[in-house]
Amino acid sequence: MTSPEPTSYPEPPRAKDISRRSFLRSTAAFAGLSALAASLSPLRELSDFASADEFMQKYYKEMTPDDMAKVLQRIENDVERQYGMRPHVRDLKPMDGVEFVYALNLTRCIGCRKCVHACVAENNQSHNPEIQYIRVLKLPHGSLDMEKADHNYAPESVPEKGFFYMPVQCQQCRNPACVKVCPVNATWQEKDGITVIDYDWCIGCRYCEAACPYFARRFNFTKPEIPPERLNPNMAYLGNRPRKQGVMEKCHFCVQRTRDGRYPACLEVCPVGARKFGNILDPDSEISYIMRTKRVFIQLKEEMGTSPRFFYYFDK
Amino acid sequence: MITAARDYLFFLRRCLSVAFIGDWRYYTWMALLTGVCLLGLNAYTKQLVHGLVVTGMTDEVSWGVYIANFTFLVGVAAAAVMLVIPVYIYNNEELHDLVIFGELLAVAAIVMCLAFVTVDLGRPDRFWHLIPGLGQLNFPASMLSWDVVVLNGYLLLNVHICGYLLYCRYQGRKPSKWFYIPFVFVAIGWAISIHTVTAFLYVGLGGRPFWNSAIVGPRFLASAFSAGPAIIILALQIVRRVTASSAAVDFTRPYQGDAPGRPASLADLDQLAANLPGLAALPLAARQELLAGAAVIPVAPGDLLLRQGETGHEVFFVLRGQVVVKLEEGGRYRVTRTMGPGGQLGEVSALSATPRVATAIVEEAGAVLRIPGGTFRRLLEFPAVEPVLRHRMNTRLMITDKALLTLRSILQVSMIINVFLLANEVFKEFYSGNLHVASAQYLFLGLHGYHALVPWIWTAVVFNLVAMFILVLPLSRSLKWLDVACVLCIVGIWIEKGMGLVIPGFIPTPLGAIVEYGPTWNETLVCLGIWALGLLLYTLFLRMAVPILQGRMVQANEDPRGKSRALHKTTHCPMQSSSPHSLVGGVLHPDSKTVAPESRSHLNPSRSRFDRLTVSDKLRGIGPTGNDLRPATPAADPPRGPGAARS
Repeated sequence: MTSPEPTSYPEPPRAKDISRRSFLRSTAAFAGLSALAASLSPLRELSDFASADEFMQKYYKEMTPDDMAKVLQRIENDVERQYGMRPHVRDLKPMDGVEFVYALNLTRCIGCRKCVHACVAENNQSHNPEIQYIRVLKLPHGSLDMEKADHNYAPESVPEKGFFYMPVQCQQCRNPACVKVCPVNATWQEKDGITVIDYDWCIGCRYCEAACPYFARRFNFTKPEIPPERLNPNMAYLGNRPRKQGVMEKCHFCVQRTRDGRYPACLEVCPVGARKFGNILDPDSEISYIMRTKRVFIQLKEEMGTSPRFFYYFDK
Repeated sequence: MITAARDYLFFLRRCLSVAFIGDWRYYTWMALLTGVCLLGLNAYTKQLVHGLVVTGMTDEVSWGVYIANFTFLVGVAAAAVMLVIPVYIYNNEELHDLVIFGELLAVAAIVMCLAFVTVDLGRPDRFWHLIPGLGQLNFPASMLSWDVVVLNGYLLLNVHICGYLLYCRYQGRKPSKWFYIPFVFVAIGWAISIHTVTAFLYVGLGGRPFWNSAIVGPRFLASAFSAGPAIIILALQIVRRVTASSAAVDFTRPYQGDAPGRPASLADLDQLAANLPGLAALPLAARQELLAGAAVIPVAPGDLLLRQGETGHEVFFVLRGQVVVKLEEGGRYRVTRTMGPGGQLGEVSALSATPRVATAIVEEAGAVLRIPGGTFRRLLEFPAVEPVLRHRMNTRLMITDKALLTLRSILQVSMIINVFLLANEVFKEFYSGNLHVASAQYLFLGLHGYHALVPWIWTAVVFNLVAMFILVLPLSRSLKWLDVACVLCIVGIWIEKGMGLVIPGFIPTPLGAIVEYGPTWNETLVCLGIWALGLLLYTLFLRMAVPILQGRMVQANEDPRGKSRALHKTTHCPMQSSSPHSLVGGVLHPDSKTVAPESRSHLNPSRSRFDRLTVSDKLRGIGPTGNDLRPATPAADPPRGPGAARS
C-alpha cells in the first residue's frame, strides 16, 4: 500500500449537497411511507380477523376430543358475541351401519321452492347476499337438457302446464370430484356418505366449485349476514354453524338433524312429499323400499362417473 | 466459510445499493411502478376487508381475471427454457448471455403467478394449510397441490441458477458445472411440467367440457412458447436500448492497437499469470515461444485498442489498468464488457478473421500485452489455460440481432403450432355439434343473447393470425416488424388463454344458467398492481444483472479464485501507486477497485468497507442506465476529455 490512503477516497461532498440530498432523501422516504400507509388504510375496517386460536386451529381429523371441546366452546362464544344468542354446537360423528341416500320424485315436485327457503333457515346461510344450496330448475316437458332450464321462473302460481321441476342440490357423490381437487383436504366424504367441509380449514381457492358438475357448492364472497332472530341455535361443527367470509359451503344433508335421527329440513317442508331420505343399509327403511320398487331412476349426469347418492324417480 | 458468507452478503448488499442508483428515467419508471403497486395494494386491502365480493366473480363464474393472468404468466415463466435449451443442449453461443435474462424473467413471472393465486384466495391467512408437515397438502390427488409444488420448485431452481451464474461472474470465476448444469437440465423438464400441470388444473375437471380436452396441455405449451419468447424479444431490445446510453467513443484519441511498444519479457508473462490461472503452469519453452512477436504497450485513459469494423489479427491482454469494450449500434454505444488485469480482447476477430465486433477504450492507465493471433491460437492448445480463455471469451453482454432472430425462428414454429392447435379445438367443438359446444359457442358466437367475450376472442384470433403471418414472412427479419408481431402475439395469447380459456369454462354453468363475468375496477387495479410488481422486480433484476454481465460490477480487486489475498495485493498494489489517474481533476477517478483492498489492509471493520464501496459504486454509476453517468452527488463526473484525464 504505497499510495497514501486519502487519495482513494472521494472528495467529501460539500455541506450544501449533503443537506440537499438528505432533504430529498428523507422527503422521498416520507412520501413513500405515507403512500404505503394510505394504501393500507382500508385495513382499519377489518373487524372479523381470525383470533390466534382460530388461526392456529388444527385440522379436523387431527383434533383430540379435548381440542374439539375447546373449539366448540370458542365457536359458541363467538356466535353468542355476534348474535346475542348462545347456540348449542355439537361435533356429530357418522353412525355405524348408516349410509344416507336421497330420492326425489319428479312427478310430484311442483316447483314451489319451499325446500330452498327451509334450507336457508335451517342451515344459517347468509341472507345478504342470499346463499341457497338448492337450485330448482324449470324444464320444458320431456327434456333433461339443462341448457333449456329456467332458473329464475317467477309465475303467479306453480306448477305451470308443459313444464316439470327439478330441484338440484349436493348429490353427495360416491366419487366426488370436489374432494379430489381440494388442495388442503378441507372437504372429504364421511362414512355415512355425506361430503362435508371444515369451514375453519378451507383456504377459499374455489377449485371444488369449479370441479363440481352439479353447481352444488357456494362461496362466501363477503361476510355472511344472518338476522339474529333467524339464527338456528341447533348447530353442528361440520354442518350449519355460521360460516366466515371467504370459505366454501354446501348442502350436507342437514348433519345436525340427520345424524341426530331427524329428516333434513327440505324434506320436512315439502308440501307434496316429493322428497324421500333414509339409510340405504337398512332394508326396512323407506328409502330402501323406494329403491327396490321404483322402475326408473335418474342419477344426474351419470356419465360423469360421480355416482350420486341422490336419485330422481317417477311415479308414472 | 465465514469469509465466503461475508463476501456473499456483501455482494447482495452491493446489488441492493445498485438498485437505488439511476438516472431520471430510471427513477421515474420505478416511481411509476411503485405507485401502481401501491394502488394495487390498496385495492387488495379493500378486497381483504370486504371479501371477494369486490370482484366480478360469482358462484357461477368462480374464477376470473386473477386466474386468467396466472395461467398466462405460468406460460411466460415456462418459456424461459426456450432460451435455455438452445444454449445448453445445442450450444448456441449467440444466446449464451441471454439465458440469465430469460431466467430472471421466469423468476419475476413466477412471483407474479404466486401473487395472482394469493389474491384469488378467500382466506390467504390460512396459506400455511398448504405447507406439507404443517398443514395438509393434498398431494398428489389435487392438481392444485401439484401446482403449489412445481411453481415453488421452479422458483427455487431459477433463483439458484441465475444467482449462482451471476455471483460467479461477479467473482470472475468460472461456474462449476456440477453446481448448475444438473439444475439447468432439471429446470428444462420442470418448465414443461409447470405448464402441463397448470393445464391439468383445467383438463382434470370432468364437469367442465370446455376444459376437459386433451389438447389443452399441448395448446398451453405452444402458446407459452410463443408468448414467452415474444416477451423476451421485447425485453432484450429494451435492455439493449437502455444499456446503450454509454458516452460515445472519442475517436480523436490515439489508436494504440498498432503501437510498437516494447518487446515483451518473461516478467510480463509472470505478471499476466497472476491474473490468468494456468499460464504459470506452462513449460518455460512454451512461454518463451509465446514471446515471439509479443509487445507491451503502455496505455493512457481514452486510448483506443480496437476499432469496431476494422480488421485485426492481434489479441490483447490487460496487464495493468482497465479497458472497457463498447459496441456501437445505430449510433448508440453500449458497454459489453469491462476488463481489469488478465482480461483479454480482440480474440474473436483474431480467431475468426472477422472485423472487430466492438471498440475497446482504455479507462484506466496501465499496460497491455499484444500477441499475434497465431500465438493466441497456440495458447488455446494448452489444456491448462484453454478453459479459462474460452470462458473469458464468453463473458460479455452482447444482445445481437442474430440472437433475436434465433428467438424469432423459435417463435415462428411455436406460433404456427399454436394456431394449428386452436383450429383443431375449434373444429372439434363446432363440427360435432353436440351439447358440449355451448361454451365454445358462447366464446366465439355468443349464446342466447350473451356475447361479452365475442369481440375479445375475435381480436385474439385476428392478432394471432396476423402475428403468425408476419413471423412467417421475411418481413419480420426487420426488428420493427418483429416487434409488431411480438406485441400482437402477446396480446392475442393473453386474451385467448387467459380470459378466453378461463371464463367460458364457467359459462353456461353445469346446470345451464348463463351468468356473465366482467372484472370490476377493484379487481383490475389488483391485477395492474401485480403486473407492476412483476415489472418492478424484473427491472431491479436487470439493474443488478447488467453491470455484472458487463463486468462493471466485480468483486473488488480480489483473487479470482478468492484464495490468497496477500498474493493479489502484491500484484495489484504497484498498479495503484503507479496510477496517477486514481485522482483526476481533484475528484477520485471513479473506480471501486482502488478502494476495497485498502480498507481490508487497514483492518477496518467491514462496515466502512461497505460504505466506501457503495460510494464508489455511485461514483461509477454502475448500471444499465448510467454507465458513464452522473454520480449521485452534484460533484460532477470527471470529464473524460483529454484535458481532464491528463490533469
